[in-house]
Amino acid sequence: MIATIAFGLLIVAAGIQVIYLLRRERKIDPISHFILLAASVLLLGVTVDRSIRIRFVAVTNTFESLVFFSAIIALVLFVYRLRAKEKTIPYINFGATVVAIALLAIASSPIAPNDVVPPIPALQSYWLVLHVTLSFIGESFFVVAFICAIYYLTTRNEERRKSLDRLTYTTIAIGYPIFTAGALIFGAVWAQTAWGTYWSWDPKETWALITWLVYTAYLHTRFVKRFRGKISAILAIVGFAFTMFTFFGVNYLLAGLHSYA
Amino acid sequence: MLALYKFFRSIRLAVVLILIIAVLSILSTLIPQGRDAAFYFHSYGAFWAQFLLTLDFDDFFRSILFLIPVGLFFINLSVCAVDRFVNRERRKARRRHGPDLIHIGLLLLIIGAMFTVFGRAESLVYMGEGDEIRLKGQYLLRLIDYEYEEYENGRPKDWISTVEVRRNGELLIPSFPIEVNKPLRIGGVRIYQTSFAREDRALLRDQEGDSIPISNGQGFELEGAVVIFRGIEGNTAVFEQWEEHSRTAIYRTGIGETIGEYTVAELGSREVTGLKAVKDPGFIPVVVALIIVAAGLSLTFIQKRKDKDI
Repeated sequence: MIATIAFGLLIVAAGIQVIYLLRRERKIDPISHFILLAASVLLLGVTVDRSIRIRFVAVTNTFESLVFFSAIIALVLFVYRLRAKEKTIPYINFGATVVAIALLAIASSPIAPNDVVPPIPALQSYWLVLHVTLSFIGESFFVVAFICAIYYLTTRNEERRKSLDRLTYTTIAIGYPIFTAGALIFGAVWAQTAWGTYWSWDPKETWALITWLVYTAYLHTRFVKRFRGKISAILAIVGFAFTMFTFFGVNYLLAGLHSYA
Repeated sequence: MLALYKFFRSIRLAVVLILIIAVLSILSTLIPQGRDAAFYFHSYGAFWAQFLLTLDFDDFFRSILFLIPVGLFFINLSVCAVDRFVNRERRKARRRHGPDLIHIGLLLLIIGAMFTVFGRAESLVYMGEGDEIRLKGQYLLRLIDYEYEEYENGRPKDWISTVEVRRNGELLIPSFPIEVNKPLRIGGVRIYQTSFAREDRALLRDQEGDSIPISNGQGFELEGAVVIFRGIEGNTAVFEQWEEHSRTAIYRTGIGETIGEYTVAELGSREVTGLKAVKDPGFIPVVVALIIVAAGLSLTFIQKRKDKDI
């Protein structure tokens, strides 16, 4: 119920953003980020409520992960809106809000059952909590980078492109260390504690590594003049596509150890 | 030599190698790993199966196809790390130790991973209450108790194998509950709660009256064939007779009945716990590497935050 209200708030926020995008005078809407904050608080409330009920941090199945992921995206957008002064804000906020809505829509679909069930033994580890939460916090910044990169490739305004290129880099530079710590470092420590092997080349692990390699390549393209700009933006888009494939695609298309998440 | 140094210090080379490793890794996830040769012939046809097996694509992450780009990346990363340091000293440039730490951490990670690839060993044993196993270093592990807990809805909550550890007769650990996510560390080996099973047991008597206990999966020779005890069905023991690679007979033998020169004296079953002992010389270097990488990432992040021009 609370998640449904949050979903409604995200749609209202996206609606307001669209109205302002369609207006002739380019004004930044004064309210949608507060609605995003409210949605984020409600979604985090869902996580807290479920955590109390299962007596463990509720990030142990696809539904809970999607709720947490959407909450963090909305929170990142709120903070970004408060701090940023760029003219690109409305487009980026709208694009990323749509991603958060899409993730919550998947959470409400049959592929993510919302039963409140306590975790099986392998998932009862605080290394897992760090692994999942930090991965999604990092990926929330990748969502913003993804929208910026798409916008970069579709606009011809040089000043705007410069600003978008900088913002793509900034968000990846923030998300990358958090994602590295969550997905790879804490993931490896948890795997060692649970199964006695810190890396088993399970398809999900391999795809997380591939995603990390793409973002690593992105960061290094900044030092090669020929790679900056278009190639960087394409890598930011590919990185996010791989992030989503690691989360969803691997579960349904490739078998492995991560069958529960 | 200088040309080689210049080639390997290139960031462009780093980007290309990273992307090559990424693309090869993608391909590896599309081809199931570690299957029998027959699987590849059945799934992909003779030509492609031969092609995949020749390239060791069935064991991709130990294959030359993967190890060569990783080796080149290792050299590239080493040269870049040295070059960064030398250049910075020469130009008296601003100190940026975050990326240096990340690069050193990644080099150590690759070294640690190689230790794991070539030095890791694991062994799975099933133990019932009271069973003992010997570990290297004169350690003796005895299972005191095994417990399985369920949630109200029947989902598994926990498996707990409580063990004691002795060394040369001296009680070192009187009681340690090994649980999933809570392994026991002893003498450089970690012992993990891995699985559980029901073990069927049969007590056989030979013609001299000696008792021979066997568990499912174990067997004995019978007139040139091998007879394997498969388990208990109802009140009978089920044995399979194998000759070369073919099963040639199934016997169902009750208590008091004979099979070959043996008489089945008792049948019973018990719960056993699956414990996995792991020794991995690469784990410590990898943990140290991960800590260095994490420190490097944090430092980079802190330094970047101070930059206005990112």
